[in-house]
Amino acid sequence: MADTFLDLLSIEKYLCDLAVEKVGPIIKAKSGTQHTYDAKSGSRAVDIVTAIDKQVENLIWSNVKQQYPDFLFVGEESFVAGQTQITDEPTFIIDPIDGTTNFVHDFPFSCTSLGLTVGKEPVVGVIYNPHLNLLISASKSNGVRVNGEEFDVRAKKLEMGSLKLSSSVVALQPGSAREGPNFTTKMKTYQNLLSCDGGFVHGFRNLGSSAMTLAYICLGYLDSYWDGGCYSWDVCAGWCILKETGGRILGANPGEWEVPVHNRTYLAVRGCEDPQEQEEYIKRFWDCVDGKLQYN
Amino acid sequence: MALTKEQLKDIETKLVELAAKQVGPLIKEHAGTQFEAFDDKANQVDLVTAVDKKIESIIKQSLSTLYPDFKFVGEESYEEDHTVIGKEPTFIIDPIDGTTNFIHGYPYSCTSMGLVENGVPVCGVVFNPHLDEMYHASAGNGAFLNGKPLKVTERELKLQQSVIALEAGSERSSGSSGDDNFDIKQATYRNLLSDQGGYIHGSRSCGSAAMNMCMVAAGKLDAYWEGGCWAWDVCAGWCILAEAGGIVVGGNPQEWEVPVDERCYLAVRGGCSQPAQKGFVKEFWSHVAGKLKYRW
Repeated sequence: MADTFLDLLSIEKYLCDLAVEKVGPIIKAKSGTQHTYDAKSGSRAVDIVTAIDKQVENLIWSNVKQQYPDFLFVGEESFVAGQTQITDEPTFIIDPIDGTTNFVHDFPFSCTSLGLTVGKEPVVGVIYNPHLNLLISASKSNGVRVNGEEFDVRAKKLEMGSLKLSSSVVALQPGSAREGPNFTTKMKTYQNLLSCDGGFVHGFRNLGSSAMTLAYICLGYLDSYWDGGCYSWDVCAGWCILKETGGRILGANPGEWEVPVHNRTYLAVRGCEDPQEQEEYIKRFWDCVDGKLQYN
Repeated sequence: MALTKEQLKDIETKLVELAAKQVGPLIKEHAGTQFEAFDDKANQVDLVTAVDKKIESIIKQSLSTLYPDFKFVGEESYEEDHTVIGKEPTFIIDPIDGTTNFIHGYPYSCTSMGLVENGVPVCGVVFNPHLDEMYHASAGNGAFLNGKPLKVTERELKLQQSVIALEAGSERSSGSSGDDNFDIKQATYRNLLSDQGGYIHGSRSCGSAAMNMCMVAAGKLDAYWEGGCWAWDVCAGWCILAEAGGIVVGGNPQEWEVPVDERCYLAVRGGCSQPAQKGFVKEFWSHVAGKLKYRW
């Protein structure tokens, strides 16, 4: 089944309604109330999951299964490492609550992130943050909507002006892996990006949610985002939206111009008027990467 | 003279009105549109705009009419070595806190208006017009968000389970002129995050000291550690935090009592006992990797 035969706009609309009407209210009501949580199985004390994550994933799954019975489903909570594969079939890739640590602490950057891939390409993306009441959505070739209203991508790009590393604000997240070579690579790269002898970026921001970070790049609030360790469901929805704004997602390591949605390391860069400028930005950014991020 | 609780509430109300009616609309209108207009302050990262100056003069004008006997210290009119914060009631104002955010249209710029008496922050108003969040407080009168009392949920406070605001700031040189602040900060971040160190749940950065202080006051962040900011970045938030049960100590170990212009701070949320706060502070300090220095 090719995406040309699917009415992507109607799928986007369906996911928007699901996010706003059913998922958002639960996230908002339960944020900051979960004082008991587990460390994920066999995992780190800072990698946490709550009962609500599972409950919300079930809710999303049962809804989309009813509406789109032939589509496959990959969710953060039901994912099985080594088994779950992303195929060419239409596949919902969803994170019920992105920013779980934010959710536990009631930092207002938890959201739901609902994506669809066809032929392994993200073609629908919906991100909803109920704390800020921010809904951003897109589908392939259909542009971007913010809280249901068409978003003028071109006007935003013109307003933002040129894209340069030294005048950019970059999102960086240490994440939950705090040991070994990946942690060292991240710390060194942050220092390179910030240092006056390196990228000397205007600033970094850390929201603690990959999906919200991608949403903020799409809205023109941030220029780029560099991370390793996240999963397809963290980036799938944002990836589709970013692409519709002229932005790009690449690998976090130098030279990775084309990467799959489950790559685990990413560099997301906002759109700009001049594609050459974007490419230059990517290369300059990769120059600051010290080491190699690797995840299996 | 000492200002009474009633007088302080009246000042708080006036500041809220000034922020909502005059300052907020200007910040909202101009955010993200200043790309070609900014001039350099200390270096290319630290930006100051014409709007910053315009807003400061509007605030100064209003306050000098309402409170002709009070002193005024503002970011834009501050003169190093000349401006001194004395015992008299003194407004300490940052017209736009989060200037980099303001320039980039990232929705965490705000106005921050505080009042000190005998060097102690006794009134504070922080308004973020993008998110429509008005934090306000005065000594003895409690802290509020948009008129509703800020209530921090009672819960444990432990370093390992905390989310802490950490910013890079604009000072980014390594070891030049005997100034190790950048390196000390980076090493401290690493200590806090590492599985061999604090192993905290996470760090966050919104790029605005005043917003960070308010997020700690609201209990959405557990703490905020900073070196390099100024009295006007923290004065208003300090009062709001104190009224919400939080504390501010020095960013360097053993500095339990610091003046508002210390330039180096650790802010810790309420919602727990004083011994728990002190325990948290001591444990945090054990990860600080050197002495941050801002007075020469």
